[in-house]
Amino acid sequence: MALSFTRIFDNDWVGPGLVSLAAIIGISIFQPSFLSPFNIFVLLSAIAVNMVIALGQLVIIGIGQMNLALGAFGGLVAISFVAVMELYGVPPFVAVIIGFAIGTLAGGASGFVIARTGISAFIITLAGLQIFKGINLGITEAQPFYGVPQSVKDFGNLSMLGPIPWLVLPMLIASIGMWYLFTRLRIGRYILAIGGNRTAAELSGINVTATVIWAHAISGLLAATAGMMLVARLQIGQPTIGDDWLISSFAAPVIGGAVLAGGHVSVAGTFFGVVIIAIITQALVLFAIDPFVVQIVLGGLILWAVGINRLRELRVAKLNERA
Amino acid sequence: MTDATSNILDEATPEHRRGSGLMRLALSNEFGLALLIALAFGIFAMTLPGFTSPFSLFTIGRQIGIDTMIGLAMMAVIVTGGLDLSVGAIGVCAAMVFGYLAQIAGVPLPLAIPLAIAFGSVLGFINGYVVVRSGVHSFIITLASMSIFFGIMIFLTQAQSFNALPLAVPAMGKLRVGGPISILLIITLVVCAALSIFYRYTTLGRQMLAAGANARAAELSGIRTGRIIIACHMLTGGLAALAGLMLTARTGAAVPSMAGHLGQDWLLPAFLAPVLGGTLLSGGRVSVIGTLLGAAFVTIMTSGLLLMRVGEFWILACLGLMLLLAVLADRLRHQVLRARGMI
Amino acid sequence: MSALQVSHVSKAFPGVKALDDVSMTLRGGSVHALLGENGAGKSTLIKIMTGIHKADSGSITMEGKPVRFGNPRQAAAGGLGVVHQERNLVTRFSVSENIMLDRLGKHSLSSVDYPAIAAEAARWLKLLDLDVDPSTPVSRLSVAQMQLVEIGKALSLQSRVLLLDEPTASLTPSEAQVLFRILRRLRDDGVAIGFVSHKLEEVFDICDTVTVLRDGRNACDSAGLKSLNRDDVVQMMIGRAERISKRAARSKPATAPYLELQDYSSTAGHKDISLAVRPGEILGLYGLVGAGRSELAKAVLGLSGQTGGEIRVAGRHVKINSVAEALALGIGYVSEDRKAEGLILLHSVLANAGITVWKRLANALGFLRDATIASHVGPVLKKLEVKTPSLDQTIGNLSGGNQQKVSVAKWIAAGVKLLIIDEPSVGIDIKTKAYLHDLIHELAESGTAVLLITSDLTEMVDVADRVAVMDGYRIQGLVENDRNYERVSTAIMGLIHGRKAA
Repeated sequence: MALSFTRIFDNDWVGPGLVSLAAIIGISIFQPSFLSPFNIFVLLSAIAVNMVIALGQLVIIGIGQMNLALGAFGGLVAISFVAVMELYGVPPFVAVIIGFAIGTLAGGASGFVIARTGISAFIITLAGLQIFKGINLGITEAQPFYGVPQSVKDFGNLSMLGPIPWLVLPMLIASIGMWYLFTRLRIGRYILAIGGNRTAAELSGINVTATVIWAHAISGLLAATAGMMLVARLQIGQPTIGDDWLISSFAAPVIGGAVLAGGHVSVAGTFFGVVIIAIITQALVLFAIDPFVVQIVLGGLILWAVGINRLRELRVAKLNERA
Repeated sequence: MTDATSNILDEATPEHRRGSGLMRLALSNEFGLALLIALAFGIFAMTLPGFTSPFSLFTIGRQIGIDTMIGLAMMAVIVTGGLDLSVGAIGVCAAMVFGYLAQIAGVPLPLAIPLAIAFGSVLGFINGYVVVRSGVHSFIITLASMSIFFGIMIFLTQAQSFNALPLAVPAMGKLRVGGPISILLIITLVVCAALSIFYRYTTLGRQMLAAGANARAAELSGIRTGRIIIACHMLTGGLAALAGLMLTARTGAAVPSMAGHLGQDWLLPAFLAPVLGGTLLSGGRVSVIGTLLGAAFVTIMTSGLLLMRVGEFWILACLGLMLLLAVLADRLRHQVLRARGMI
Repeated sequence: MSALQVSHVSKAFPGVKALDDVSMTLRGGSVHALLGENGAGKSTLIKIMTGIHKADSGSITMEGKPVRFGNPRQAAAGGLGVVHQERNLVTRFSVSENIMLDRLGKHSLSSVDYPAIAAEAARWLKLLDLDVDPSTPVSRLSVAQMQLVEIGKALSLQSRVLLLDEPTASLTPSEAQVLFRILRRLRDDGVAIGFVSHKLEEVFDICDTVTVLRDGRNACDSAGLKSLNRDDVVQMMIGRAERISKRAARSKPATAPYLELQDYSSTAGHKDISLAVRPGEILGLYGLVGAGRSELAKAVLGLSGQTGGEIRVAGRHVKINSVAEALALGIGYVSEDRKAEGLILLHSVLANAGITVWKRLANALGFLRDATIASHVGPVLKKLEVKTPSLDQTIGNLSGGNQQKVSVAKWIAAGVKLLIIDEPSVGIDIKTKAYLHDLIHELAESGTAVLLITSDLTEMVDVADRVAVMDGYRIQGLVENDRNYERVSTAIMGLIHGRKAA
C-alpha cells in the first residue's frame, strides 16, 4: 500500500499536476472569474503555444544538451511565414510548409555542427541564436509584417469548441507526437539512450551524429510550429517573437521532472509545468500584481523544481543503495 | 643512473626550447588574434576614411574597454568550467543600484562605485553559493537567477532610468587621456594587468585554475573547492558590475534596458571575447590578454562594418558567425598542436 | 582454425612502448586467459582488438580472415563482443531494450516492437539463466545481473569471440561461480572466450589456455594451462618467482600512533573501524574490490561524514571535515586514480607538485612566484628523479611513472606526517614500481607514517610491515608481515573468507 503510494509519486507528472489543480482551485475561490469561459480560452491559448516551445527544448534536454537558439528559430520562421504570404502572396498552407522547412533546416544545421565538431551545444546554439536573430532583424529591419491572412488570424483567435481555442490542436498533435516519439519510436529511444549514457549508446552501435542532428531538427520543427502559432495569435509577424522563450522553455521541462543531464524526460510533466507557469502568470494579471514579478516567479520556479528533482534523485540513490 | 642525462630539469638545449617556444607563440591564439587585428585595422584604415579619426579611435577604444570587461566577467567563471548567464542582469542591477545611490541617496561617487561593485559580488556570491550547495550545473542556476535578478530590478525601478546622475559620471564616459584614449579603456587595461597578476602570482588565482581544471583532484590536494568556486562567481559579479558602471558612464544614465531583455544582450560579447581569446570552456585555463584581444577584434570588425554601412542587424549575424568560426578555428588549432605533440 | 589470432602486434605511445611484438590465439570452444600486471599492456591489447587504438604493426585475423576494426561498433558487427569493466548500459532503459539497443527498428521513425524485442531478449536471458522480466529497468538489477545483461548483449550480436575484461572484479564469489557456469556452457557451444583477470584462482578454475604479458611483451603466448602451475604463471607475470621478499621484516616501532581510529563509522558505510598507524611504520590495508579501503581513506580525509567513534591524530582527538583540514594535520593522500583525482593533467609539473604548498609559500598578501615554488619543490622532484623537459611541461605529457612520482612528490613537499598511498603501482612500469617501493621504505625510515592500500598481494607482502584486512567496510583482522608470502597470503585470505563462510 505504502509502496504503491510512493510509486504514484514517482511519476513525474503527479507533483506538478497536483500543484496545478491546487492552484486552479485556490485561485478560483478568490477570483471566480478565473474559471470564466473567456479566461479559460486565454489560458489555453497561452498554454498551447508555450507547450510547443517547451517540447522544442525538451527534445534537446533529452539528449543531454541545450538549445539557446530555440527562440531565434521561432522568430525567424514567424517573420518568414508572414513575409512569404505578404510579399509573394503564397497561400497560408504552403507558407506553413515553408515555415516547417526553415525551422527543421535551421535546427538540423545547428545539430550537424554540434555533432560533427563535438563543440558544446551551448556555444554553437549561442552562435546560432545571434546568426538567426541577426538574419531576422536584417530582413525586417526590426519592423513587423502586417500581412497576415484572415484565416491565419482566425486560427489563432477563434474557438474550436466552447472555450477551447483552435491553437490547442497543434499542441495536442505535437504533445502526443512527442510522447509517442519518446516512448515508442526508435529515434526517441536513441535520443534518450544517448542522453542517459552516451558511451553505452556509441558502443552499442547507435549513430550518435545522426541522432543529434535528428534531435535538433525536431527542436527546430517545434520552434517553427510555435513561431507560427504566435503569428496567428498576435495577428502580426513580430520580429521580437522568440525573444522571451529561453527561460520558460527550460522552466516547464524542469518543473516536469526532466533530468538536465539527459536521458529522462516527461511530456505529461512538462505539460503541467507549462500549466503552472500559465496559471501563475494569469493570476498575477487577475490580482493586478506587477507583471514584472512574472520574471521573478519564473526564476524561482526553476530553482524550486531543480531542488525537488535533486531531492528525488538523492532519495532514489538511497533506495538503490538499500536494495 | 645513466638516465640522469635525460633528467632534463637541467638538460634541454636552450636553442631547442626557444625553437619550440617560437613555434608555440606562432600557433598561439593571442598571436593569431593580434595578426587578425592588425590586418583588419590596416584594411579599414586604408579603405575607410574617418576610421582613424581621433573620435573614431576614441569610441573604438571605449567600446573595447567595455566589451573586454564583460568578457573578463564571463572568463572569471568559465575558469570553473561553468558559466554565468546572469552577467548582464548583474551588470544592470549594479548599475541601477549605483544610479540610486548617486542620484537619489546622494552618496558620493567614491563610495557609490565600490558599493555598486560590492553589490555585484554579492549577487555573484548568491549564484556561486547555490551552484556549489545544490550541485546543479551553473547553466540552469544562473538561468533562474538571471530571471530573478532582472525581475526584482525591474519591479523595484518600475523600468525607470536614473538619468540625472552627477555630472562626473557622463564626463567620465567622455574623458580622454593621451590623445584619443578613453579613460574607460585605461581602467580596463589596469584590470587586465591586475587579473593577469592575480591568476599567475596569487594563491587564490592559482587555486581557481586548479579547481576549474579538475575539481576532484584539487579537492584531494587540500583546496577548498567549494569556496573557490564561490569566489569565482563573486569575481564575475564584481567585474560584471564594473562593466555595468562603465556602460552607465558611456550612456550618462543608468538604464534598465541597457543590456537588453534580462541582460541577454551581453551574452554574445561575454562569450565571444574569452572564446576568441583561447579560454577553455571546460575550465582550468584562462587568457586575460586573449580576452582583451578578442574584444578588440570584435569591436574593430563591428566599427569597420558599421562605417561600411552594413546594417547593424547583419553585424549581429556576423558576430554569431564569428563565434562559430572562432570555436572551429580553436578546434583546428588544437588538432595541429596535438599532431605536433605540443599538448 | 583459430577464432581470433593476434600476430606480432606492436604499439607505441609517446614515451612508452605499450606493446612489443605481442601474439595471442583464441580458439572456439575454449576459454583463454589474458594475464599480466597493471601496465603490462592488457588493456592496450584489448583496445587494439576492438579498434579503439590502431596497431603500429602486426595483424589480427578472425577465422583466418584479416580484420581491422575502426571502432567497437565494427568489432561487434564483425562478431567480436566485449564486456568492458565499466558498465555500459543505459540504466533507465529496460533489460530487453539494452540487449537490443542497436536493433530497435529498421529506421529512425520505426515504431519499437516491444513484445518482439522482449521475446528476443528473453531468449538470451534464458541462455544466461538470468531470471528477470525483460521489461525490468536495468537500474533495479544487481551488479552481477547487469554483468550478465552485458554478456547477453554481446552474445545477441552473434559474437563468436567474447572478451571479458575483469568480469569478476565487483562480484561475490558465489556470483562469480554462476558466471563461470555460464561461460563454460558458452564455451561448450563453441564460443571463443577471452578472460582478463587478476585472480589466479579463477584463471585456473575456468581457463584452458593462457597468454601472459609482461612489460608489453609476451611472457608466454597461448600456452596450455594444464602444464603450468601457479608459481609458473606468477613467475611469468612478475619475472621472478613469487617468494619471500628481499626486504627484511621490520620491527614495529614503539612510538605512539600518529593516526588512530577507534570504533570509527562513516556515512560511506564503514562500521567500527579501529586501526593505528605509527610514525616510521608502513601499515597495509588489504581487501578485495569494494571492500571499502579507498573509501576509508577518503572518509578519514573528510569527504564522508563521521557517524561514530573517534579519530585521533598525534594523540589529539580531532574532527576532519575537508582535505584542507587533513593537510593541516599533516595527512596526505595519493589517489589510485591519478588522472581523475591525483593530478591536474592540463597544468604544469610545477603547478601539480606545488599545489599543496601554495598557501604556505605565499606572502602575507597571498602573492607567490614560480621561482619560490620551484626552489621548494624542485629538490623533491630531483630527488625522486622525475624526468621532465622542464617544470613548465604539461604533466599530461609525462609517462605514468613520472606522473605518479609527482603525485607522491607534492605530499613530500608538503612535509606530511602521514601519507596514505592508494594503489601506487597502477599503470606504471616495473622499474618505477620498484623505485616507489624503495621510496615508501625510505619515507618510513625517516619517520613518516604510511598507510598503503593495494590489491596486489605481492606488493603488500613486499612493502608493508603489518596488514590490516578489510572486507565489507569492516576491519577483519591484522596480520604481521614476516615477508613469507605463503603464510601471509593464507592468513589474509583466511580473514576474508572466514567472514564469508560464517
